[in-house]
Amino acid sequence: MEIKYPDVLLDSLENGHMIIDDKFIVSYWNRWLAINTQISKEEIIGKKLDEFYPNINYKVLYRKIKTALLINTPSFYDTNSNVKFIPMNRNKVTTSSLMLMQQQVTISPYIACENKVMVSIYDISELFEAKLSLKKEIEKVNKLNDKLEADQEIIDRNIMMMRTSFDGVIIDVSTFFCQFFEFKKDFILGKNISTFKQDGGFSATYKELWETIRNKKCWSGELKLKTYKGEEKWVQSRITPILDIDGEVLEFSAVYHDITNEKLLEELYITDPLTKLYNRAHFDEVVNFIVKHQRKTDTDFVLVITDIDHFKSINDTYGHQIGDEALVSVANTLKDSLREDDLIARWGGEEFVIMLKNVTLDEAKTIIEKVRASVEKNKINGTINATASFGITKYILGEDIKKTFKRVDDALYEAKKSGRNRAVLK
Amino acid sequence: MEVLNLEFNEDQIDALREFMNVSIGAATANLANLLDAFGTMHIPKIEICNSSELSQKIESTIDIGSMYYATKQLFTGKFGGECMFIISEESARNLGRHLYNATTPSRDDISDAVIELTNILTSTIVSRLTQELDTQVQFFVPSSQFIDAHSIVNSEDVADYSKIIIISTILDFKDQKINGNIYILTKDEAIKSLKILIDKKIEEIYG
Repeated sequence: MEIKYPDVLLDSLENGHMIIDDKFIVSYWNRWLAINTQISKEEIIGKKLDEFYPNINYKVLYRKIKTALLINTPSFYDTNSNVKFIPMNRNKVTTSSLMLMQQQVTISPYIACENKVMVSIYDISELFEAKLSLKKEIEKVNKLNDKLEADQEIIDRNIMMMRTSFDGVIIDVSTFFCQFFEFKKDFILGKNISTFKQDGGFSATYKELWETIRNKKCWSGELKLKTYKGEEKWVQSRITPILDIDGEVLEFSAVYHDITNEKLLEELYITDPLTKLYNRAHFDEVVNFIVKHQRKTDTDFVLVITDIDHFKSINDTYGHQIGDEALVSVANTLKDSLREDDLIARWGGEEFVIMLKNVTLDEAKTIIEKVRASVEKNKINGTINATASFGITKYILGEDIKKTFKRVDDALYEAKKSGRNRAVLK
Repeated sequence: MEVLNLEFNEDQIDALREFMNVSIGAATANLANLLDAFGTMHIPKIEICNSSELSQKIESTIDIGSMYYATKQLFTGKFGGECMFIISEESARNLGRHLYNATTPSRDDISDAVIELTNILTSTIVSRLTQELDTQVQFFVPSSQFIDAHSIVNSEDVADYSKIIIISTILDFKDQKINGNIYILTKDEAIKSLKILIDKKIEEIYG
């Protein structure tokens, strides 16, 4: 049998090629088509394609053949179509996403004068499968993104969050943060974090906060902030530095939780209702903590007990209301005369207890002498003179606190015994 | 590295416009013959722009709130590039009805009809243009996507090209209520080749 070279060439290709005319009569059918369709060239050549494949839209095929012949250029079927030109089973076992071969069908002009074209069928299943798989993954990512957006909205509406630059300039805040502090978002953005700081009283806390986060560590603690209208709010805060790729601080993120009510309750629990000083229970708690832990920074203190002189007489002469005013007046004098770090509490009745931190006995004596003079100077209810006596002692490292109290009580007793309105050191 | 001069002079633009007019005339005739639809095509607009402007230029010619079938077909040769046909969902449905004789054509029918129309347009216009310029091109299988206006061209994807030629026209089949925008896009080296081909042709014609 004579070998026809174009036949050998077309039979060796891994795609299907047939030659048909505009009446759909098949004049060539290559080996690939014979294997994949199970129709031999002997069976089909010379016959019309529609005898074997009646479901092809022949009106469309005719138009595509005419296009190829008229323009002398290939015409194509849509490669993404679910309609298969010639349905062929796909034998891949490891995946079931495509049961039929996905085809790219190209109709190229062959012999124009005989109205013949070559129909080429390429198996693009692998490519199509990859496209489908990519589409699936994109859909998954989109779903996750939608969920993430929904979660972000929940966080935005329910959690107080803030992002600031390294210098404390506010970059972003959550909606809930704005609602809580009664600020409009546009107003806050670009402002410095100090907008929310309460004036004074927190320098030590803020110093510790900045040192911690600038050293690339997280800081957690309580902060007293103010709303747009100036209302005080307590928040539990966690501030985290965000680092750039070189490990340097880029910005900070902060999450806040409102603890204002808890703080009010706590204050009520540790505060004497009349004088607004700490109560005895709180003072005991602090002192016991210091003595138990024996930290060097805490144990350097001087203990002072003061008692209003002739308080019973004030009560008996002017009544309990004036007596109460005397207690408040002395309490205010103590608060105004001492440092913020010093701990002052009402010890009971007309007695107050003071912890002066990081001072020597001599320094304590000087401080207390000034306090004593202030108490003497301030008139109760504008007319009544009151004085106070003071016992002063220094806590000795490691000693039982009862001994310290015994010493300071003795000092106070001596101050009373030696004429009142004085301070005695022990 | 050689710096490409991608600007066209007036003579080159005039010649290109003239070749395009001829190509578009051939496309209109082929469409009437093959699709049994008598349409008109507008005088082509030729623009050279920076690649970053492409997305904006295309969006300025269509309704950005609608969904489109965007079909892209590559051609290679001395003058290579990409043809794009953008047709609204409504027009594409009318095209599907017309070519598939169906009242409610399927998405597959519509997509195939759009590809068929694109192929006829692209092949005729580009083949005729390249025939005028005495060169040959090869066409690749077109692919179609049903997408929103913003997704037709992603600015980041074309950022690496310096200049792009946009040859655009509008196809309008009034009776069938079908219209769409055609863009022939070519870039950098292909623009340089196009200029050389045009100059050669001008030389041939005017001596």
